[in-house]
Amino acid sequence: MKCHKARRWFSAYWDDEITQAERECLEAHFAGCERCRGEYEALARTLESVTTLPRAEASPDFVERTLARARRATPVADRFAAPRPLWVPVAAAASLILVAVSLLSPWAGHEAPILANRRAVPQEARVVPPFTPVQAAPSAGTLASGANSTPRVVSQDQMAALVDSLIDHSADVDFVIDPVRVSRERTAGRRVEPVQGQQAVISF
Amino acid sequence: MARVAEDEERAFSELVRRYQARVMNLVGRVLNDRECADDLAQEVFVRVFVHRRNYRRGSKLSTWVFTIAANLAKNEIRRRVRRRNWFSLDALQETLQDSAAVLADPTEGRDKTLEREQLQQELGRAIATIPEKYRLSLVLRDVEGLPYEDIAQILGIPGGTVRSRINRARSMLKRKLQPMMRKEASQ
Repeated sequence: MKCHKARRWFSAYWDDEITQAERECLEAHFAGCERCRGEYEALARTLESVTTLPRAEASPDFVERTLARARRATPVADRFAAPRPLWVPVAAAASLILVAVSLLSPWAGHEAPILANRRAVPQEARVVPPFTPVQAAPSAGTLASGANSTPRVVSQDQMAALVDSLIDHSADVDFVIDPVRVSRERTAGRRVEPVQGQQAVISF
Repeated sequence: MARVAEDEERAFSELVRRYQARVMNLVGRVLNDRECADDLAQEVFVRVFVHRRNYRRGSKLSTWVFTIAANLAKNEIRRRVRRRNWFSLDALQETLQDSAAVLADPTEGRDKTLEREQLQQELGRAIATIPEKYRLSLVLRDVEGLPYEDIAQILGIPGGTVRSRINRARSMLKRKLQPMMRKEASQ
């Protein structure tokens, strides 16, 4: 063992913090190296004298003075008393993510089915025609006696059209009659034309 | 400590009684100033009282008290260095003379008592001249006898660093005291 390595172990040897093998190695070195042995003895004497240093004594009224000083001091708040529950930030983060996803989904291409159906309707089919007074046409079952003064009789179809024109159909939802056909068309990559008619449209 | 946290004054005075000597000794040995050690030790306990609810249950109370003491001692050393008035040899000599007189064995010869006093004076002076970070480690280990793990926790440094600092501090102390030790060994 080299002297410089042996000297690095002096402190651990004094504290008894080296392994048995290291101890034996160091003691073997001491047996052959008078200089290292002398150095270690000097260190041991120094450290022994440190342990014999007189200890400082507190004055008899130390406790009373300290208590008086502590009473004047204001205690600080408890940092560890009420830790915030873990589920609060987790739940907050989860709800934020949900809101963000539901807001961003139309732009991300994952539309809600109701929106997808609505978009499939051709624009012209969804335009509500402006209200125009219906000119009653004389029909076979209608009595017409005179040009202006005679009350006009409106057919059932015309009345239905008039009523329908008063309703805003922009929010109508298409009612798919044949889902099997729609699925087949989509698989084939063709666009499914919506079926819209009096019987096929429901409104919410 | 739980009772201290619950504002029980008797528990706090018990805590002060239990640790006052060790805290006084630590700060006194690090600062080399008896007057200041008394004041600083009081401050340590006031801090313990003020922050009593921040004490983590399960950790060692002595380690927590010594951490506060070591930090305050460090701050005081730095304050003195800034003021260039940090080394109070007179206070050290006074402390050592008083203590030596108390501890002296009356059956010992006068020469021997004087020698012992002189050695203690030299030792205190030598410790006080070791740089702060090494000095704190040395005092905690060799004066207070704390284990390495506690010292690492008190100073907030890894165990390996504590070992190397103590090793270095001991070598410095040995070098400073070598002439005196040689003389004593030859007698």
